[in-house]
Amino acid sequence: MSDKAGLFRPDSLSEALHLLATVPDSRPLAGGASLIAMINARIVEPAALVSVTQIAELRGIRVSPSGEIVIGASTRHRDIAEETRLSGTLAVVPDAAGQIASATIRNMGTIGGSIAHADPGLDFPPALVAAGAVVEVASTAGRRRIPIVEFFVDWYATALSPGEIVVAVHLPKPKPGVGLYLKHRRVAGDFAIVSIALSRALDGETHIAVGGCGPTPVASAEADRILSCSTSGAALAQAGEVLTALADPVDDVRGTAEYRRLLIPRMLRRAMFDAAAKSAA
Amino acid sequence: MEKASVSLQVNGATCEAQATLYDTLLTVLRDQLLFTSAKRGCNQGVCGACTVLADGVPVRACLSLALDCEGRRIETVEGLSANPRMQALQRSFIRRGAFQCAFCTPGMLISAYALLGSDRPVNEADVRKSLSGNLCRCTGYKKIIEAVLETAGDRRSGR
Amino acid sequence: MSDGGDAQGAVGKSIAQLEAQEKASGDAKYIGDLYRPKMLHAAVLQSPHAHARILRYDLAEALALPGVRAVVTGDDVSEANRMGAFIKDEHAIAKDKVRYVGEAVAAVAADTEAIARKAAQLILVEYEELPAVLTPEDALAPDAPAVHEDAAAYFKVFDAGTEGNLCSRTSFHEGDIERGWRESDRVFEGRYETQPQAHVSIEPCGALAEIDPAGRITLWSANQSVFRVQANVCESLGLPMSKLRCLTPRIGAGFGNKMEPHVQPLVALLAMKARRPVKLILSREQDFEMVRARHPFKIRVKTGVKNDGRLVAREVEVLLDGGAFADDSPGVLGYSLLMSCGPYRIPHAHCHGRLVYTNKMRFGAFRGFGVPQMTFATETQLDEIADALGLDPIALRRKNLKREGDAWLGGQAILSNGLAECLDKVQAASGWTAKRSLSAPPHTRRAMGLSCCAHISGLLSTGAIVRLLEDGSILLNTGAVDIGQGCNTVLAQICADALRVPLDRISLASPDTDGSPYNWGTTASRVTYTTGKSVMGAAGEVEKKIKEHASEILECAVDDLELLPGGSVGVKGVSDCAVSFAAISARAHWAVGGPIVGSHSWVFDQKTVDPKRTAVIGLPFPQIGIFSFNAIVVEVEIDETTGGCAILRAWSACDVGRAVNPQMVEGQIEGAFVQGLGFALVEELVWDGPRLANPTLMDYKIPTIQEAPSLLQPIIVESHDPTGPFGAKSVGEIGINGVAAAITNAVNASLGVRLRQLPLTSERVLRALLVQEEQCAVEPAR
Repeated sequence: MSDKAGLFRPDSLSEALHLLATVPDSRPLAGGASLIAMINARIVEPAALVSVTQIAELRGIRVSPSGEIVIGASTRHRDIAEETRLSGTLAVVPDAAGQIASATIRNMGTIGGSIAHADPGLDFPPALVAAGAVVEVASTAGRRRIPIVEFFVDWYATALSPGEIVVAVHLPKPKPGVGLYLKHRRVAGDFAIVSIALSRALDGETHIAVGGCGPTPVASAEADRILSCSTSGAALAQAGEVLTALADPVDDVRGTAEYRRLLIPRMLRRAMFDAAAKSAA
Repeated sequence: MEKASVSLQVNGATCEAQATLYDTLLTVLRDQLLFTSAKRGCNQGVCGACTVLADGVPVRACLSLALDCEGRRIETVEGLSANPRMQALQRSFIRRGAFQCAFCTPGMLISAYALLGSDRPVNEADVRKSLSGNLCRCTGYKKIIEAVLETAGDRRSGR
Repeated sequence: MSDGGDAQGAVGKSIAQLEAQEKASGDAKYIGDLYRPKMLHAAVLQSPHAHARILRYDLAEALALPGVRAVVTGDDVSEANRMGAFIKDEHAIAKDKVRYVGEAVAAVAADTEAIARKAAQLILVEYEELPAVLTPEDALAPDAPAVHEDAAAYFKVFDAGTEGNLCSRTSFHEGDIERGWRESDRVFEGRYETQPQAHVSIEPCGALAEIDPAGRITLWSANQSVFRVQANVCESLGLPMSKLRCLTPRIGAGFGNKMEPHVQPLVALLAMKARRPVKLILSREQDFEMVRARHPFKIRVKTGVKNDGRLVAREVEVLLDGGAFADDSPGVLGYSLLMSCGPYRIPHAHCHGRLVYTNKMRFGAFRGFGVPQMTFATETQLDEIADALGLDPIALRRKNLKREGDAWLGGQAILSNGLAECLDKVQAASGWTAKRSLSAPPHTRRAMGLSCCAHISGLLSTGAIVRLLEDGSILLNTGAVDIGQGCNTVLAQICADALRVPLDRISLASPDTDGSPYNWGTTASRVTYTTGKSVMGAAGEVEKKIKEHASEILECAVDDLELLPGGSVGVKGVSDCAVSFAAISARAHWAVGGPIVGSHSWVFDQKTVDPKRTAVIGLPFPQIGIFSFNAIVVEVEIDETTGGCAILRAWSACDVGRAVNPQMVEGQIEGAFVQGLGFALVEELVWDGPRLANPTLMDYKIPTIQEAPSLLQPIIVESHDPTGPFGAKSVGEIGINGVAAAITNAVNASLGVRLRQLPLTSERVLRALLVQEEQCAVEPAR
């Protein structure tokens, strides 16, 4: 297909994948919220861009026959924030989406672009971990699914191979319960200093992920198990300790590593309290 | 860098522009099409001074590639000058003193215009949420909130 | 002359900005919106080193790039041509040395911005790195490398006492400080620290210069003073002032960032070399990195009091990091010390400080000019004193307020003082309580905090010209730059009432060094007061001339005449006996006397210091201004989980003498409050070694609309200054001075701690909360 000065706008996923595999120094362009900012600052200077937001297959949110919810990679944050089918234990995802940056950025940014960028300060990564997401990716070699905890590998690094792009995020069928995203930041729209993503079913099954405290979201099966069994003060403290020990925060202009470690158990307690209040309501 | 022609729908007219891969909609709007209401305050999508409408939805012109805007309906404050909703907002902004240097004002107006686009009642929390991506350093925001709420109230009561 | 008491008058009315339509429609043209035929675009190469000698440049590759029209470096300026508001220590572009990371080292003008940027990257500069000093303490150490080897020899407008990296020192001695300590029942001492704050005007700095065939330059820029641009560009380029004309587009705010030069000298230099117009708009990152910021302060405050709360003695010692160039810093040092006793009676005072060169970006003027920093220290200490003495914080302040007939530190008379009324009003409006904890939702605490402060309006010189046009309408020309605060409108209102004409009969000339009378600038909260007075003076001259004509036309004595509303002159007590301005102006133009012009020019002349009363060393200004006052109460909510603070409600009462335009006065109070909120809670420029760690809006955050308080109530107090135009004083800065102190006082009251460092990040507050939690655990009975 032809390009304009290096911008390709394929109509189909297979065409997009072919372009990414064959056009030298090409990158996928989704909403542009991260990539264009980097290009404007000349942090990256790709020779070609393959726009994916116009590909129908990548758009929209659908419910599969099994009740699993599939979010197309090009779905905008705004649409995820307003999606009522992401309810119960999945409500953590729209709650996080609604706290990303600002309304205008939410009109532009996409979930696929966001998680592929893998900035640890972003809101989707911990929310998707708590929600138990699976990321579907594709390349010219085919498709595969990556559990979310394996998707984020390091600072700005994912498990995507060259030529692979995110095509959808799969969420398990929502269960009755609560989901919330507690974000501590300096001012509205800033990256999280620390965030807690919480998903808790009525039967008590709880999943927690911590954002802003290391190269990837911090989650622990043991912490989840503790909180699924008990929400006593001792259990909260213990789960907090487990998560804090796993966290690997850094000092930055938003806060010190030590402060972030202080926040984890406190915000966990608060998130559980807010979840209980939400349940009762 | 290689340039290509791109046909843009801006403020109700078809405009031809020349853009490289990296040229943003902001650059083309300001430097080629001379619609200078959208401003460059940061070029990172944070300040909001570049906010314009694309297909009726507020977007950052500084984060939109010009070449990728073909086929989208772009509107700036200049293009909305005859629009009653925008005019009502502008009158309220003037009446309430909702700008001082006014560098942020076009972006602020676009965001407020979009907020008032439905018939849904609008309260202060809605205004704060919609405008949290438009930074202002002069006013302290109070008169901006008052102006938007005044317009929303006037609109609902048919004034 | 009219006293503006008209119900029909403009003074006292909340009239919309004269530029409102163009601003609301998006048609306002700022520097970034200006284009000139054959214009070139510029890019800047910035220094990667904090301190280094420039050994040589290799420009060959850059010059060879197609589309490059000129490259300038320090080789294009003379060693002798330096600029600086108080100390002439700065070249137009780095010469021989670079002194901070980010400093402009070379600049390119090319056909497009992309070519200019590429060419800038092709410039090779060979440096010899030198050891750098990054803190004032390091800079003052013996054998510290000199930021300016020739500092002692630089031209200075005052006795700075420069020595090594000590740029200047200032001290005030009033009364007998040792006797003060002896007479005190208790002495309190504390050390306070404030952080650098970036202006973050939403419009970055920029300039456009164009040279004509005769070599005369026209320069537009984002500025707060066309005259300072002119002086700085001419001094740094060795140009006669007659060769440079400076003009003003609409300005996207300044707050002090655009008062002294940014890229104007560089852009003028490029235009001279390229012989074509050149435009440069800084990126946001460059605006953070290479212009100026608010000084970080280290402050020691020692205050002696009687047990009943009377203040007896105060010692203040400050250390200012000035960065690599002096800029406005000597003024900030001197002024902050002048304000360091606050609006209180303190008979014995010793206030002193030092300003130090370091290898960082220069620090300079920023709304408040040192007083937000100083007020943070002195007003939080006052609350500490109140707490220790068992006094309500408001009661302590009332007990010590300056009274009628009192003079300021230094001896200047205070001609109008509405602070007591400001305190009354914020106390009543807020329902003030000094209770440590107000009722609060779960997981939060709430408390109120208070501060009082002062500021000046005035300083240096200004002029005004009022011309009666042929048809009787009026052209006002003052040279005052409207940076968005509304001075065009305010001055027009003053002129309208002075001559009793409708506001729409007045238009304003745009500031232009060719045509406007000198105006030092839009800074120091001076325009309403100083330029307003000039407008009154010029209007008065016009009135006099109008009446001379009228007395001849109406055949009566001048004293029998009065201005009538709407632009005519009549005979007192006689109806139907009047002549219009239009008729008079026609007569003047065509028959008798010549076109009517009134002008006025003055320098603020009240001396700051009476040497018989106060011993002062190294004060860089002999006259400063008249005094305005402010009291603030805030209600703060602390999130116990995170330490995050939100300002729920705030009341800020300002004595502005007379509100010429009440809505605009509110706008200044409200805007200053939120900017102060940012200073108090979140804003901080951070250096990572020698380079700025957060020169972007992603990393340096200012308050968004979500951080604005739910209730922000500005309260206007009018003390009717006898010297101000219609009694007015200015209000541009005072609203920011006390914000951080009031917020800190609330947080300290809530947590029972003494936080002494800004910003009050959630981290700092949480740590204080944890300390308090620990103390409660240990002593639960308290």
